[in-house]
Amino acid sequence: MTLSKAERCLELARLAGIPLMEAEVAEVAERFESLMRELERLTQLDLAHIQPVLVFPEEG
Amino acid sequence: MTRHDIPWLSAAETAVAIKTKQVSPVEVVQAYLARIEQFDGHLRAYITVMRDEALAAARQAEQTVLRGGDLGPLFGVPVAVKDQFWTRGILTTNGSRVYRDFVPDADATVVTRLQQAGTILLGKLNLSELAMGGTQAPPWGIPRNPWDLERTPGESSSGSGVALAAHLCAASVGEDTGGSGRGPASYCSAVGLRPTFTRVSRCGMTPMCWYLDTAAPMTKTVQDCALILGAIAGYDPHDLFTSHRPVPDYTARFGRDLRGVRLGLIHELNEDAGMHPEVKQAIHSAVEVLRQQGAEVREVSIPLVALAGAIFVGVADTEGAGARDDILRTRAAELDHASRTRLQAAALVPAKVYNRALKARVLLRQQFLEALRQVDVLVSATAPAPPPKHTALTAPFIDADDVRSRFFFRRAYTGCYALTALPAISLPCGFTTDNLPIGLQLGAGPFAEELLLGVAHAYEQATPWHTRRAPAIEG
Repeated sequence: MTLSKAERCLELARLAGIPLMEAEVAEVAERFESLMRELERLTQLDLAHIQPVLVFPEEG
Repeated sequence: MTRHDIPWLSAAETAVAIKTKQVSPVEVVQAYLARIEQFDGHLRAYITVMRDEALAAARQAEQTVLRGGDLGPLFGVPVAVKDQFWTRGILTTNGSRVYRDFVPDADATVVTRLQQAGTILLGKLNLSELAMGGTQAPPWGIPRNPWDLERTPGESSSGSGVALAAHLCAASVGEDTGGSGRGPASYCSAVGLRPTFTRVSRCGMTPMCWYLDTAAPMTKTVQDCALILGAIAGYDPHDLFTSHRPVPDYTARFGRDLRGVRLGLIHELNEDAGMHPEVKQAIHSAVEVLRQQGAEVREVSIPLVALAGAIFVGVADTEGAGARDDILRTRAAELDHASRTRLQAAALVPAKVYNRALKARVLLRQQFLEALRQVDVLVSATAPAPPPKHTALTAPFIDADDVRSRFFFRRAYTGCYALTALPAISLPCGFTTDNLPIGLQLGAGPFAEELLLGVAHAYEQATPWHTRRAPAIEG
């Protein structure tokens, strides 16, 4: 079964415990789709050997 | 000197005028309060004006002046801070109805240090809700850009930009998560500095994104920026991330030419097809000025900059949603529509995608540090275009492509320094034919603020841009 953008968004929000206003579901869905599409571009990078850090150690 | 002359002084000039008893601290504060009264009804730079507190502090400062002694370079200077910094006993709204009754019981370290430097706090400045940007209906009014009232002053330290452009404070401290200090500085023809991530304490600064937020000096001149940074920088036991490195004299390089300084134009930003032609021309002209000062100029490539907007939103919005989890679950209805939908969308991003953005951030940092082995200072525009109209920012999104064009593209310019935890400064470098400000952005290696400020000062002293006055506030 294929979910629409709005249905996918609503299901994710339900699982995350984030209540959405009915009138805003479409906008949240568009924002989410855009965000995911943009972040999808990062899959082209070779990040296999990179450790994510939150604060760079040489900043101390 | 008359009361009308006072607000046009820089912070450093104001302190000198007080020290030499040309004006008293009370006269200075009264002059700024009069301008706030005259202009802020429609500019909306301030959320809270601390009239009584500022006058009381000024009277106390006056006694100090009369007693004589060693007054610092910011003594008696009226400053204002973004309403994201906690102030003991004073409303701190974070630009949100959620915090409309929040009165902290302690000052932010930045506020304490500004007071220790002898400055006088005039009030708390407007901002985009929760320091995020994109607020459609700011609860305390829409801050208006004095260069064109129909245009945005930038986000999220909007009130700081407006207050500086309208001379409603002598200096300000905003906050910069991904450009929130440098952006408004660029749009309002002011100076804005993002320091190295750990340089300034964040204790008492309400977080937007835990690992990107920095306090951001915002000022009328580069010298003021150096003085404010010197006052607020340094280790703070209340912020575990602050650096133990000593705080240098950030004016130490002033007055030198730029011989021996290597500048690198960031290819991916300066050749961006989306850049406004007048912005591109202004950056080109600025580089020529720097070259005439003795700087060597070359081009450097940082390929991942093109994705910096996506990486930034992947990190900042996702963390921002995490930081606001309680609000999203229980008080979302009190948020502005745009803040709410932006945070809700970010809250749905899977952990593996956030993790990928964090890794890409590390790769971006590696590319920046590699470029900074070839040059000392990186150069670009602060924003690819002049300030847009308010209506262009607050219109509802049409579709995902519209979100992308309005949301991701411009964030690469300033977001790249936030992601890489490197210092960057924005300073005025010209105006469009419509008299809209253009900002030059300079970036450097970790803790190289002294170099950045030195280069910025050399440029500023060779150009007239910082002396131009916004049309909406003559009077």
